[in-house]
Amino acid sequence: MSDVIFEAEHLSKWYGQVIGLNDVTVSVPPGITGLLGPNGAGKSTFMKLITGQLKPSKGSVRVLGEPIWGNQDLFFRIGFCPEQDAFYDRMTGFEWVTALVRLNGLDDAAARAAAERALTAVDLMDAAHKRIGAYSKGMRQRVKLAQSLVHDPDLLILDEPLSGMDPLGRRKTIRMIRDWAKQGKSLLVSSHILHEIESMTANILLINNGRILAEGNVHQIRDLIDEHPHTVYVRTDDPRGLARAFLARADVISLRLEPGAVVVETGKPDEFYTSLTELVASGAAGTVEEVTSPDDNLQAVFKYLVKS
Amino acid sequence: MSPIHDQSYRRYQGTRLPLGRSWTVIAGAGIRGMFARKLFLILLVLAWIPFIVRAVQIYAVTMYPQAGQILPIDASLFRDFIEQQSIFVFFISIYVGSGLIANDRRANALQIYLSKPLLRTEYIAGKLAVLLFFLASVTLLPALMLVFVEVGFAAGFGLHAANPQIVPAIILSSAIRITVASFAMLALSSLSKSTRYVAVLYTGVIFFTEAMYGVLTFITGTTAVAWVSLGANLDQVSDALFRQPAGYDTPLVVSAFVLVGLVILSVSVLERRVRGVEIVS
Amino acid sequence: MKPKTPGLWYGAMRVFDVSLAEMLWSRRTVFMALVVGLPVLLSVVVRGLVELGAPIRAMGGAASGPVVFGLMIWVFFIRFSVPVLAVFYGTSLIADEVEDKTITYLFSRPIPRGAVLLGKYVAYLVCTVFVVLPAIVLVWLLVVPIEGSLGAGFTGLLTDLGLVALGLTVYGALFALAGAVLKRPLLIGLIFVFGWENFVLLLPGSLKYFSVAYYLQGLVPHTMPGGTAMSLIQSIVRDVPSLAESLVYLGLIEALCLWLAMRAVTNREYVLEQ
Repeated sequence: MSDVIFEAEHLSKWYGQVIGLNDVTVSVPPGITGLLGPNGAGKSTFMKLITGQLKPSKGSVRVLGEPIWGNQDLFFRIGFCPEQDAFYDRMTGFEWVTALVRLNGLDDAAARAAAERALTAVDLMDAAHKRIGAYSKGMRQRVKLAQSLVHDPDLLILDEPLSGMDPLGRRKTIRMIRDWAKQGKSLLVSSHILHEIESMTANILLINNGRILAEGNVHQIRDLIDEHPHTVYVRTDDPRGLARAFLARADVISLRLEPGAVVVETGKPDEFYTSLTELVASGAAGTVEEVTSPDDNLQAVFKYLVKS
Repeated sequence: MSPIHDQSYRRYQGTRLPLGRSWTVIAGAGIRGMFARKLFLILLVLAWIPFIVRAVQIYAVTMYPQAGQILPIDASLFRDFIEQQSIFVFFISIYVGSGLIANDRRANALQIYLSKPLLRTEYIAGKLAVLLFFLASVTLLPALMLVFVEVGFAAGFGLHAANPQIVPAIILSSAIRITVASFAMLALSSLSKSTRYVAVLYTGVIFFTEAMYGVLTFITGTTAVAWVSLGANLDQVSDALFRQPAGYDTPLVVSAFVLVGLVILSVSVLERRVRGVEIVS
Repeated sequence: MKPKTPGLWYGAMRVFDVSLAEMLWSRRTVFMALVVGLPVLLSVVVRGLVELGAPIRAMGGAASGPVVFGLMIWVFFIRFSVPVLAVFYGTSLIADEVEDKTITYLFSRPIPRGAVLLGKYVAYLVCTVFVVLPAIVLVWLLVVPIEGSLGAGFTGLLTDLGLVALGLTVYGALFALAGAVLKRPLLIGLIFVFGWENFVLLLPGSLKYFSVAYYLQGLVPHTMPGGTAMSLIQSIVRDVPSLAESLVYLGLIEALCLWLAMRAVTNREYVLEQ
């Protein structure tokens, strides 16, 4: 597979006076990529553009190296799980997945076999011969996933795949997604639930108000957000002693005392960690029991970029 | 008093509409919504073209009385005008009425409406008011305007003194037509979540009964079977109100009974279908 | 597993497989059954009355079963059921999928988008033909024996069935195009059928060439024997095209409308309601 799964160049989409996506230029590598953004950010518009459901108002989008609009052949290699909860409720899950994979050119026997494999993969084989109308929300999500991967695509595009699932279902699905990635598939997963994306991948596309705010590894992005100092939480038996030592340092911007701990804000985290290690090793700071960075995570990145 | 003002939630302190007036909110929203649609405004404008044609007719006969032998100005002019407007009643009923309740059912909004202090009757009254408003604007209003035009051009009330039934007949005939159409359309709209389905059901009711009347008349050789046709029943009642010769052999009582029966049937459908919860047997 | 690239017809047949059951077992079919069932019911009533001794009178004189049948075919089926069913189904071929938000699944498969419309159109045809035509046969069996003969009228029945099927085909294609292109296809379809076509058929001149009913009626006098109801209708309608002209123009309308509809579906983007 090439280095780029899909790329957009100056991609814009507007609906009348409303701008859905605004001059987006992005290249996404293989692997799992999380598309993150608050409601109304443009995630669904972006998803629909890269799955050929919508035509760009301006710019271009290429998926797997080819333009997607009007290029139905690409759908041999793409599987799409849309956000909407919509089915042919009269059909059973098995019938529905079989009928859809037959649109990929499979004959009857091959289609049935593929449907069985897909439904087994999403743990739905037991209920495969029940009508979709009788499925629970989680089962409906899973049968949607099944139809997206039944033809063994190279690229899976999943729009809010965990929506409506119970916690157990979410865990299973996240595990499935990671397994699919290990099998060599690339996935684009959209969500507004940060910790779910974080449990799948560190590679994100952050979108807000129709613009891409950041793309890449979440930790690298965090490091680059200069105006938000890093927060470091240090649990110690002598918070005030440690605080006095920190106050002498130029790389500490501010600190705050909490019961049994000191919370430090620093603009130079690498230097700070080095000096903390030296301090602890010298024994001048008492016993340090725990050091964590509460904002070296997706939530912090999201908060800083979206709210700023 | 504290210099720092309370920023928390405060209950509404203003006046409230008395109970039983909430239907005006639904009606107002529905009417404003329709006025925002360009295609509908075009349809409304087209519906007034027959008024212009008739006004020209009245003017022509006033200026050239001999034209009155071909195009008489009498009660039949107003009766014919109202009958001719029924095609616009049909199209406006479909455009405005088919989604009135169907869209709410599709969006699961009925539960939201009826969870407010809003009676079912008020909900139905509000929806009905939307349809009645627009249907009156293409039947009753232009017909009354035609009366004013006639009086203006004739510079007197001569026609109305000789035919005092004209104005009451216009009002009653229009009211009956739009009431029957509105109730029927609203009942059909409550049966489905698809406006398309409702529109075709309504079309079926109107035109199928016409077709049935045509075939039955052919078979039996008499127009006494006109009671099967909704349009024929309305025309029969209009003829009686305008004191015109009846167009069909169907007794007036039978036609009136059919129309009243249709309204009662529509009300019973609405009563069963407009509920905040679905009753599963 | 190397599947061949599905072509237009293959894709259409697969969509047909999915759509037929959905169409047949939906509430639309109840409506369709009502639309075609009422003429059957009327036929039962008429036959019952005749069996009880009541005469059939047409326009002041006696009428036979074949005459009444011919009229019912024209009034109930060709001028009502066929266009209404075509408007109802044809305008919603794609619109239903968009409204139900299931269109995404069909458009994210490696089949031409036009195949989706074509497959659903074929499903509509099969659905309507297999409900409407048996109803016509029932009406024929009930009405024609009234002072008529089933044997003598059999050829006419076959031609009437062909005529109705052709009407469903052509009107369906026309309204499939309306559904693919217009924002309010149902209202415009109804205006076309009950406004425009009724209006232009009565006018002299060339406006009537822009209707389907004009070409359909061109098939009627060539199929019905003389002295029947159709000849009565002919006396109202002065200008009737030839059989060949009717078939050619109907075929052209059908092919052009379907092709344009498929093109429209291919090029159009469908924004689903949030």
